[in-house]
Amino acid sequence: MLATPIAAIGALALALTGCSSGSSAADGDPNAEFEFWSFTGIGQQESVDRYLEKNPDAKVKLSEVGSTTETATALTAALAGGKVPDLVMIQNDDLPKFVENSGNFIDLRTLGGDDIGDDYLDWAIDAATGEDGSIIGIPTDVGGLSFAYRADLFEAAGLPSDPEEVVEMWSTWDGFIEMGKTYTEATGQPFVDNVETSVFFAAVNQVTEKYYSPDGELIFDSNPEVEEAFQVAVDTYEAGISAGIAAWSSGWAPGKANGAFAVTIAPSWILSGLKNDAPDTAGSWRIASIPGVGGNWGGSVIAIPARADNPEAAWQYIETMLSPEGQTEHFAETGTMPAAKGALESEDVLNYTDPFFGDSAIGTVMSESVLQFNSFYNGPDTSAIGGALLNALVDMEAGNVPPADAWTTGVDSANAAIGG
Amino acid sequence: MSVTATAIPAQKLADQPRPQRRRIRSSLAERIAPYAYVAPFFVIFAIFGLFPLLFTFYVALFDWNPIGEQTFVGFANFERLFADPRFWNAFVNTFGIFLISTIPQLLLALVLAHLLNHARLKWANFFRMSLLVPYITSVAATALVFGQIFDKNFGLLNWILEVFGLPSVNLLASQVGSWVVISAMVMWRWFGYNALLYLAGLQAIPREMYEAASVDGASGWQQFIHLTIPSLRPIIIFTVIMSTIGGLQIFTEPLLVAPETGLTCGAGRQCQTLSLFLYEQGFGQFEFGYGSAIGVALFVIVVVASLINFFLSTRTRGGR
Repeated sequence: MLATPIAAIGALALALTGCSSGSSAADGDPNAEFEFWSFTGIGQQESVDRYLEKNPDAKVKLSEVGSTTETATALTAALAGGKVPDLVMIQNDDLPKFVENSGNFIDLRTLGGDDIGDDYLDWAIDAATGEDGSIIGIPTDVGGLSFAYRADLFEAAGLPSDPEEVVEMWSTWDGFIEMGKTYTEATGQPFVDNVETSVFFAAVNQVTEKYYSPDGELIFDSNPEVEEAFQVAVDTYEAGISAGIAAWSSGWAPGKANGAFAVTIAPSWILSGLKNDAPDTAGSWRIASIPGVGGNWGGSVIAIPARADNPEAAWQYIETMLSPEGQTEHFAETGTMPAAKGALESEDVLNYTDPFFGDSAIGTVMSESVLQFNSFYNGPDTSAIGGALLNALVDMEAGNVPPADAWTTGVDSANAAIGG
Repeated sequence: MSVTATAIPAQKLADQPRPQRRRIRSSLAERIAPYAYVAPFFVIFAIFGLFPLLFTFYVALFDWNPIGEQTFVGFANFERLFADPRFWNAFVNTFGIFLISTIPQLLLALVLAHLLNHARLKWANFFRMSLLVPYITSVAATALVFGQIFDKNFGLLNWILEVFGLPSVNLLASQVGSWVVISAMVMWRWFGYNALLYLAGLQAIPREMYEAASVDGASGWQQFIHLTIPSLRPIIIFTVIMSTIGGLQIFTEPLLVAPETGLTCGAGRQCQTLSLFLYEQGFGQFEFGYGSAIGVALFVIVVVASLINFFLSTRTRGGR
């Protein structure tokens, strides 16, 4: 009795929200105008301008929707029942929930052939690959990971300041903590800005399996690799070398400028923010590999929704701009870390330096970190679990959770977050 | 008489339909007109108010993925909600912030209105106008400034404490501390607005009543309690109910006071309110079904709180 009206209402709701299945992507004018949604603040306009130079007949309507999260929210609303763009950028943290419903996007293999992913980092393509093997996104960039540290403060504390020596000293996380103790003893100042992003985020991405097993089972609370990474963060806190200043909290930018800490985690895309936040420290910073070298934070893909009006035109843009050569050019102009293997091994990337960072080998450090990064399966709740564990560490640094209970607190709140 | 009597019916017959039709038409139009005048509001309300409200009740019964599958789960979302410590945490936070922001705020507004109503106050219009400045300031700007004031590392408050040799505090890290910061923001923004409402009410009280009270020997305090407060009762009820509805849905302040922890307002969810929790689940995690269930719960809570307010205020009136 009850089932029929509910099914009817359900069908109505589906009709209202416009869940139509994909249209054919085959033929179409590659120079027709296509709509492109990107994030603000990543200089996508430059890339579009370069595309129009190469291809004067093309027409692109670029909308910078908002932050990465806002763009993902707008895309979700559009997919659920609105006008979808022809081309859209999705940040890696937001990607799993779209990959899980890959039917909303065109399988790009139908446009570019089965070997379409071969040019790119394996783990970046894996992240955009659905259960059925469909590839819904082509990686635009990755977030190579490094530490930025203050050479002048290191010297004042009697520590080596040359990146090569520093990397040797903190080749392990234990070495990192020891170095921090020496620094704090010598100066009375904290060594690292915080333990949640600068230690846990870095360490937890150096695992072989993270929160899910390769077949998609949740293992975050039993996976010893995750608990070890968490313990490194707890140990760093207990060593008394953390300033407890969370990334993007109101004390973070002043802290970078006034030496409240000497080390902070530096994914490639954060470097320009560091320069803006602490212009007076130009020349004092250095870039060095993190303990264990491999790492990634962030990065994005570009995808074509199944209901796009001009998939051919969008695809032509991807083919032109996201090729290894296209990504190398984009890096030269904007400093965005490429996701194409060929680009990461190009001289342009490997030789990249910046006087603000004392001409450290930024390009080589970043390139090595993403090339050595391991692939692991990320599921729909990866970012919720990561957020819960991270918050437990923040709460520990605020003095609300004893270090010994932090892991249990994090696991409990992660379980609450995923409804378990 | 008879001539006219026979002549008129013929004419009447011919004319009858027209005036009658006209009368019907005009009376129909007259009857419809008021509805037509109010229709725009109700049509818009139905589309943007009523439909989303009812649809929320419906979505709350589903495991609803906006871009994937929608499965009917009955009351499972509500069962999960009542067992979810994060919901009860948000519930306590919402009421905690509501109580420590509303009660002092309304008392302060009442006292301030009383002072501004003083006949001998100079520059009265200037003070009355300046009360509205916090109200017209953007909440986002307010939240950013308050966030800076209370920052644990380089905040103004801790700088002042340091000057006096006191230990620094990290208010935002603790539950009650973060409530105080948010309540300070709410009070700063709204007490002037409420004071103006009270002031308008005060000015409607005839001066003769105060003169009569003075003649009867009532002190200033007695006049305030027995004359001012009872005369202001309708406005007090209005401000209390509006503050309840607004206070229980507080969103922007907790969202922006601790931006580094995203939608949880602090790492331990120490100041996450119900509407922020709703937003986190619905638009952060895309759990539309669970988010809708939180919305339904919030709706019920606001209705119950408003009813309690209403009965309390009518009962005190009956008691007099």
